Amino acid sequence: MPSWSELEQFLVSGLALGGVYALSGVGLVVLYRATGVLYLAFGAVGALGAFLAYQMIQASAPGWAAWIVCILFGGVVTLIYGTIFGPALAGRDPLVRAVATLGLTLILFGAMELLWPPTSGATRSISLPTDNGGFTVAGLQVTWTQVIALGAGVVLTIGTGAFLRYTKLGTAMRAMANDREITATLGVPVRRVEAAAWFGCGVLAGFAGLLLADLVQLEPATLTFLVISSLAAALIGQLRSITVTFIAAIVIGVVHDLLTPFTALTNYRDMTPFVLAAIALLWVSRHRQIMTRSREEG
Amino acid sequence: MTVTKSDSAAAAAAAGRRPLLRRPDKPVQASVIVILLLFVLFVLPSLMSGYYTGYMTLAAIYSVVCLGLGLLVGRVGLYSLGQGAVVQIGAWTGARLLYGTGQPFAVVVIEAGLVTMLIGMAIGLPALRLRGLYLALITLMFAGAITVVLATVNFPNGGGGFTGYNGGSLHIPPIRRPSIAGTESAYFRYAVVVAIIMFVLVYAHLRTRPGRAWAAIRQSEPAALAAGINTWFYKLWAWALASFITGVAGAVLAAEYQHLYSINFATQDSIILLAVVLMGGVYTLWGAVIAALLMQLLPGWLQSLGVSYAWLDILFGIGVLQVLTTAPTGIADQFPKDMKRLGRFLWRQVHRPSARGAPGTSGPPGAPAAGSPGGGAP
Repeated sequence: MPSWSELEQFLVSGLALGGVYALSGVGLVVLYRATGVLYLAFGAVGALGAFLAYQMIQASAPGWAAWIVCILFGGVVTLIYGTIFGPALAGRDPLVRAVATLGLTLILFGAMELLWPPTSGATRSISLPTDNGGFTVAGLQVTWTQVIALGAGVVLTIGTGAFLRYTKLGTAMRAMANDREITATLGVPVRRVEAAAWFGCGVLAGFAGLLLADLVQLEPATLTFLVISSLAAALIGQLRSITVTFIAAIVIGVVHDLLTPFTALTNYRDMTPFVLAAIALLWVSRHRQIMTRSREEG
Repeated sequence: MTVTKSDSAAAAAAAGRRPLLRRPDKPVQASVIVILLLFVLFVLPSLMSGYYTGYMTLAAIYSVVCLGLGLLVGRVGLYSLGQGAVVQIGAWTGARLLYGTGQPFAVVVIEAGLVTMLIGMAIGLPALRLRGLYLALITLMFAGAITVVLATVNFPNGGGGFTGYNGGSLHIPPIRRPSIAGTESAYFRYAVVVAIIMFVLVYAHLRTRPGRAWAAIRQSEPAALAAGINTWFYKLWAWALASFITGVAGAVLAAEYQHLYSINFATQDSIILLAVVLMGGVYTLWGAVIAALLMQLLPGWLQSLGVSYAWLDILFGIGVLQVLTTAPTGIADQFPKDMKRLGRFLWRQVHRPSARGAPGTSGPPGAPAAGSPGGGAP
């Protein structure tokens, strides 16, 4: 049984990881509510963005340019996908639309394997300048990257909540979550609102990819499938509540990292998101019908 | 060359459908399938190099995996994103029993199928309360968890205890194969025969009561319920059947690899499986054979050409998007139609060459399907 002082450091890293999961999960939920598409390519888009940033840094481009490229890449690719395949699949089952994003995942994943094949020797990595700076709280070393990760999760959750509540665009998105056809009849430019949601989600994907490449590992499969952890958080929030998604994401991140020092459990810590999401889904299905967007009920 | 192989392997797998017909309504087609099947079993192994025998064995095994997923997706409307993990359960169980016991190979294969079926049902019992997207996602979660467990426990390598894993073992004995199928080509035949039996099993289900119940459930669950069909029971049945045949395939796969490591099973396999099954076509049994050839034979072919595997991922990604947007029935259904259209087009060209000069250059809609596995042009 590890002592508390050993656990403390993992608590910090877990909170940072949870912050990134939270911002990814919130991105997934907002896009799902606005467009009805569960964007499973979220991780792959961020991963490819991070690899582009890595390549730019290798070519001695300034760091800030690489980060902007990474984030914009996510937004642009997602927007293009949404513009082409959003309308094409608009009338279909949510399941079909989610599976279609797996097609994009495979394309991006293949592109990464092709352009950055696994290296035998040195591993690739991105290190943000915020890794070096930091401060000490109660004897705990905290880097600025960790602060940014958790902070971004918190700010984005609150910001998105306020955005959906108080702005015109946010109101339009909430209206579309309820009924796309009626919203269109009321004069909301549905396509433009959807495009905004796609782009916003893509920007979050790029941002999450950059942070995860720094916090976890710059490797195609790892980054592509880390989206499953955020997806688990979004599922616990029933793809509806951003508050529950945020809390679930933080819990997943913290539990995952806190299990690391326990020798019996350390190898099983990657199961955390799966187990929590499965329990939540089964519990919900036992107690009430899972809510879906009203349009898909019929 | 590959086209002949794909046709014959497809015939091999689908040939099992015939004996169950009440009357041979297409005697010509039936006899062609039987001849192709005999060709695959007795002529093809001697024509193939050892290199392709390995890939064709994998294709025969994976045709069963694709059959199971195609059954769930196409016949019942249940999407599973976790079939890769089900294969792993079958392979693990098969390997453990083959190392630990002296039972005949066929018995072990059936036992592995049964164990996988029980585990699949244990997951299916609660999961099948969910529908559509949520069911797909919970299978993804279970698959993720199973993969983590098996990567930690490790695949058996001849050690003792429950896990059968001996970390320090320097000499790892190979997983044994049946005594009648010692050589590579003999094992290929064995895998094809197992695949045929599994196709017959599924075909028998589709032609009888469960098949009709599944069709009703796929069309509309409330309507099926109103017609007096126990939807929960039949969904669980489909789930159990798919798990059973996938487990059988897993056990055969274990003896094909002979040494199992978690690295044999990549995270993206479950997604690629769904991609190729959708591309192959979920509404016919042929689709499973095409899907297996896409997934297992193409990598071998690409490697012999010195082309990176990564292109396959890109190809499958494009294929999924194409299937979902324009051709939901997949290659198995689309390809013959495209060929007919091409035939009609050529016929017109021959008979009215002067009237259609310019449009001839634009090409028929089905022509690209012949070359690319991505199916017809969008």
